[in-house]
Parts: sequence; C-alpha cells; structure tokens
Amino acid sequence: MNTIEQQLWDYIDGNLDESAKKAIEEKILSDAEIKSQYDELLKLNLSFESMDLDEPSMSFTRNVMESVALVPAPLAMKTKVDKNIIYGISGFFVISLLALFGYVLYHSDLSISSFDLNVNLDFNFDQYITSTTVYSFLFADLVIGLIFLDQFLRKKVAEK
Amino acid sequence: MEQTLTDLVLIQNVLNGETAQYALLVKRHQRFVFTLALRFSKNREDAEEIAQDCFVKAYKALGTFKQTAKFSTWLYTITYTTAMTFLRKNRLDTSSIHDESTIIQLENHTSGFNANGYEKQDSYAFLNQAITQLLPDDAAIITLFYKGEQSLEEIGEALHMEPNTIKVKLHRARQRLREKLQYLLKDEVRELL
Repeated sequence: MNTIEQQLWDYIDGNLDESAKKAIEEKILSDAEIKSQYDELLKLNLSFESMDLDEPSMSFTRNVMESVALVPAPLAMKTKVDKNIIYGISGFFVISLLALFGYVLYHSDLSISSFDLNVNLDFNFDQYITSTTVYSFLFADLVIGLIFLDQFLRKKVAEK
Repeated sequence: MEQTLTDLVLIQNVLNGETAQYALLVKRHQRFVFTLALRFSKNREDAEEIAQDCFVKAYKALGTFKQTAKFSTWLYTITYTTAMTFLRKNRLDTSSIHDESTIIQLENHTSGFNANGYEKQDSYAFLNQAITQLLPDDAAIITLFYKGEQSLEEIGEALHMEPNTIKVKLHRARQRLREKLQYLLKDEVRELL
C-alpha cells in the first residue's frame, strides 16, 4: 500500500527519508491535484491535532484513591525480593559445596602408588543394554527434548 | 510543585510509602485514560468504570513497572487490556458506521476555543461524533497518535501490535474518520475543517 495519499500522510507525519521527502515535495509543487490533496490532508491533520480530551466526573480522582486505599500499598520489586534472602541461599550452597569438597579431600588417598596403563578393552555391551537402561535413556531424551521445546517457544514469544 | 515532579519521581515516592502522591499521577493521566476508555465503551459510565479499574490495576502493579519505558505507554497498555476485557464481558456492540445509537454523550465536553469559538465547538463536536463511530481499535489509534504523544512503536506496545501494522491501521483509521466527517457534515466538511 503506497498510494499518493499514504505518501502524503507519511510526509505530514515526518516518516520519510530525505530522498522520498524530496520526491513528494516535487510532486506537490508540480501537480495541482496533489497540492490540493496535500492541503486537504494538512487541514484534516490540524483538526485531528486540535481534538479535545474528555473529562471524567469531578469525583473521579477521589473514587480512585478510595479504591486504592483498600488494597495493599505497592512495593518495588527489589524491595519485595530482599537481597539478604538471595545472599543467604547462595551462601548456604557455597558452604555446602565447600564442606563436601573438604570431606572428599579428607577421606581420599592422594598418593599415586603406580600408574598402570593395562586397559582391558574386552567389553561385553550386552550386559549393559537392558530395558531399564533403554527406558532411562529415552526418559533423559524426552526431558532434554522438552527443555529445548520450552526454550524455542520462549524465544518465539520474546520475538513477538 | 506538582508540575515539576515527573511521573518517575511520583512513582518512586508512591513505592517509598507516600501513597497519597498517586492522586497526582491519576489527575495527570485521567483525561487521557478516560478518553481512551470512551473509545471502547461508547458510554461515559462504563468508560469511567474502565478508567477507574485501570488506575487501581496500575497501582497494584506499580512495583513491576520497568522504569525504562514511559509510564503513559504502560498505563495505556493496561487501559487497552482492561477495556478489551470489559468489552468481552459485556459483549458490547463494537460495530462501526452509521449507527445512530453509538453517538456519544458530549455534555461534559471541554474545549479551549475563544473568539470564533462557536464554529470551533461545532467542529470539535462533529469530530468527536465521527470518532465514536469508528471501530474501537481505529479510534484508540487515532487518539493515541494525536493526543497521547505516543510514537508508532509505543502505540504498538500498548495495543500489542507491530509498528508497521499500527502505521497501516492509522492510515485506514484516518481515511475512515474523514469519510465519517464527510457523512456527518456533507458539504460543510471543507469549511469546518
């Protein structure tokens, strides 16, 4: 849709780039019909700009304030989510991880007695492929698939 | 003092416990929110109910307002959603054109004309009458664009539409509004505009 009227409105609204602006200005100057259409749209635009807003009743503000007095006062999100709670949770996890790491270190034997590279490559895969492992594998796939689907849908919504 | 405090400062004060300052925000935006509500409801009582509901919703959700956008844009989004919900609930007739029953009540209409005010008043009245005969979306876009100091992007945000869609809709709305004015004023349209 790029009729002359649309171009004239874009010119009036200031939505045109320099070249398009020059082109429409030339058309207005050279064509009497376009000039007359432009003048009419300009007047219409001025009239739209001068339209007035309606006034609600005199008691409007008072009514709103009476209604909001009945609801809890709003709080900023940062006030609602106290930072100390976030610090507390993160502190708990850091301390737990450090304690676990320390426990593992304390109970492990760090000495390397020998380094044996004799690896047995004779695996029997059949003993590992049971119905339980297959179901577990499929379940993990399903979870991963759902996570990807969720991310994909979130991206779609965000793009909209 | 009211004039010097920006919307963001007032919001911050309300969030800090000075809830009475919300009245200043209401006073500042009530005419526009009410007019926008009137574009959907076509009835002053319903529009007042929608506008009031909208300000209460905005108050409740004030803490979630991201201060990167204009408060007015956020408020108009709430107005649009509230008005649409109201329309759906009440199944109001949202059809357009030549419907005499949708002509608005203009008794509380205010305007700022003076010397040759009578003609101006006539043109305001006809313009308002023509706007009420538009589809709610068209009327809202025209109002947001001309009186709400909103860009196409901001209108798109408020009405949940793409800026390009808004541009096309604005163009069509202006065409329809001109047709309505021509229908209402017949040959007088050129003199009055």
